[in-house]
Amino acid sequence: MKKSPDFILFDSLKEILTLGEFRGSIISKCQDEVIFSDNIKISEFEGIIISEGLIIGFEIVGNNLIPYSRSSDLKWNLKDIPLEYSVLIPENTMEQYDQGQFSNEFPFTINLLHTAGLYVNDSKFGVNHLDFFKGEILKNPISMIRNGIIVADRVVIDHNGDPVFYDCLIVGRDENDDLNISYEPIINIDDKVVEYIIILGIEELKIKK
Amino acid sequence: MLLFENKQQKLLNLLKFTGSPFKKFVSTGEIEEDIGLAHSRQDLLNSIIDIIEKNENFILPIIGGVGTGKTHFYWALKHELYYYNIVYISLENVIKKFYYYIYSEFIESMGIEILRSIARRLCNEWGALERKYGFFHLADIEKVRKVAYNECSADFEDKESIMDVITAITAHQLDPYKKIEVERWFLGEVIDVRDLSRLKLKYDLREKNNSYTMLKLLVENSMVNSVLFIDDFEKVLSMMKPLLIEEEPEEVFDRSWLYYSKESPDKRNAEKLLDKIVRLNKIDGLRIIITLKSVEFYKEIKKKFEEINSDLLNVLREPIILSNFIEEDLPKFYKNNLEFFFGNINYFDYFRDFSDTYYPLNEQVLKYIHKNSKGNPREIIKLLIKIFNEIILSNEGLDNILEKYQ
Repeated sequence: MKKSPDFILFDSLKEILTLGEFRGSIISKCQDEVIFSDNIKISEFEGIIISEGLIIGFEIVGNNLIPYSRSSDLKWNLKDIPLEYSVLIPENTMEQYDQGQFSNEFPFTINLLHTAGLYVNDSKFGVNHLDFFKGEILKNPISMIRNGIIVADRVVIDHNGDPVFYDCLIVGRDENDDLNISYEPIINIDDKVVEYIIILGIEELKIKK
Repeated sequence: MLLFENKQQKLLNLLKFTGSPFKKFVSTGEIEEDIGLAHSRQDLLNSIIDIIEKNENFILPIIGGVGTGKTHFYWALKHELYYYNIVYISLENVIKKFYYYIYSEFIESMGIEILRSIARRLCNEWGALERKYGFFHLADIEKVRKVAYNECSADFEDKESIMDVITAITAHQLDPYKKIEVERWFLGEVIDVRDLSRLKLKYDLREKNNSYTMLKLLVENSMVNSVLFIDDFEKVLSMMKPLLIEEEPEEVFDRSWLYYSKESPDKRNAEKLLDKIVRLNKIDGLRIIITLKSVEFYKEIKKKFEEINSDLLNVLREPIILSNFIEEDLPKFYKNNLEFFFGNINYFDYFRDFSDTYYPLNEQVLKYIHKNSKGNPREIIKLLIKIFNEIILSNEGLDNILEKYQ
């Protein structure tokens, strides 16, 4: 049996389950939501528990698709679990990510106070503000792409209207559907493969549950 | 076609044009000394370096009479230990705002970048880099200040000052809107009350406890070791002594109104200053070198330290006695000076044509200088200045001039 990499804590597709309590920088994917947390507990009896995780996604309110970022405690039992995977980002990758971050004092970055949707690839409720923000530097983008998640320090929309992410952590599946984590200082993504881009609101991150 | 070149005359002409190679006979902390130490002093320098490198907290006295080259030792140390922060102060100039002055000197020596990096490191140690939800750096300034205070307050006597310093460091690193003003505070600028209150600070660094706390934090958290060189240390002792009646300035104001009849204001100032110097010893890793003019002053200092706190005698090292130049030192010292001088004016022919001679002087003149100055470096330089000025300015022939000094 092939041993799964240490960073994979849970993978429903490959049936990987690493029992224990983990602390660090953890990204989980649950349907169309991304969950950030500094802890996760995986136990045969209690299931999967995340305390004070930040859930990011979209919800339909009336006729609109509204982005949200909420802090919440989460618990699932192992039998019927909507979670697709949970990965623990290695500390050296996090250090690279930290070092690549722009200082808050950099004058030309847009730091949104509330969480907002920049782009949603949806035929009915689609959102596309890429043209409006062309050339601007937006802080704290989270993006769901076809095969994975991009967490970046900043995103700039280039002259073609495609997002260019800087200082990114990428979690995704390769051609064998194995989970991988990588760090890229810069990555250009065609907007056709993007599911959504959410800009995290700096003030909403400060809100306590 | 050039058949013959009078190299000696050329050198004299050059000297007449450039002026004397010997100009300065008093070393100061402000003007750099480029010439190294005399050969006989190299061992003393090595023993000082050995003490500095093997110990963290000490007070090391260097004893030497007037003009023996105590201040020159500071420059020699600075050149040799270039990987240390070595800061010079003279008690002749600094009595008031003592900590503030030393702090400013340290900042000047280290540079603002080091201060910024120390502030960054401290903030990170206090939890400013904590990642919310495992990813996002969202420092809670108040929380960081609380952690910092809990960590630091035990090491600092003055709680108000450490709070001011923590507030300044955290605001500098975590509050971009206050960074520039706090940096002015770091640099010791005068900050008005309105700005201080906006920064949530009580005092600027002119307040002695604030400057002491900042100095302690700076020295203890710097990656580079620090040495404080206090010149003219006997000043503090001479201030304590009562003035003789003939030396006493005529005063209309009777100082006994304020200081009682037995104490002069100078004595009170000197006692305060000594207390401040002793307090410097509580800064971990601050090596202190003091210079004294005689062994009697050393004995007095020892006695004073014993009166203040007998534990201080443990940090007071055995003094290093600086003697005058021995006869062999002078030719080397003379040659080094000339080589440095001609090297500086790009006259490299000197190294080729005069490497084996003492031209324009000669061995007898150097012996005369050593004998007449009794080997005192300052007196030696004064005599060299006199002779070179005569060579440059007088119309007399070189031989006639040298004859007077043989």
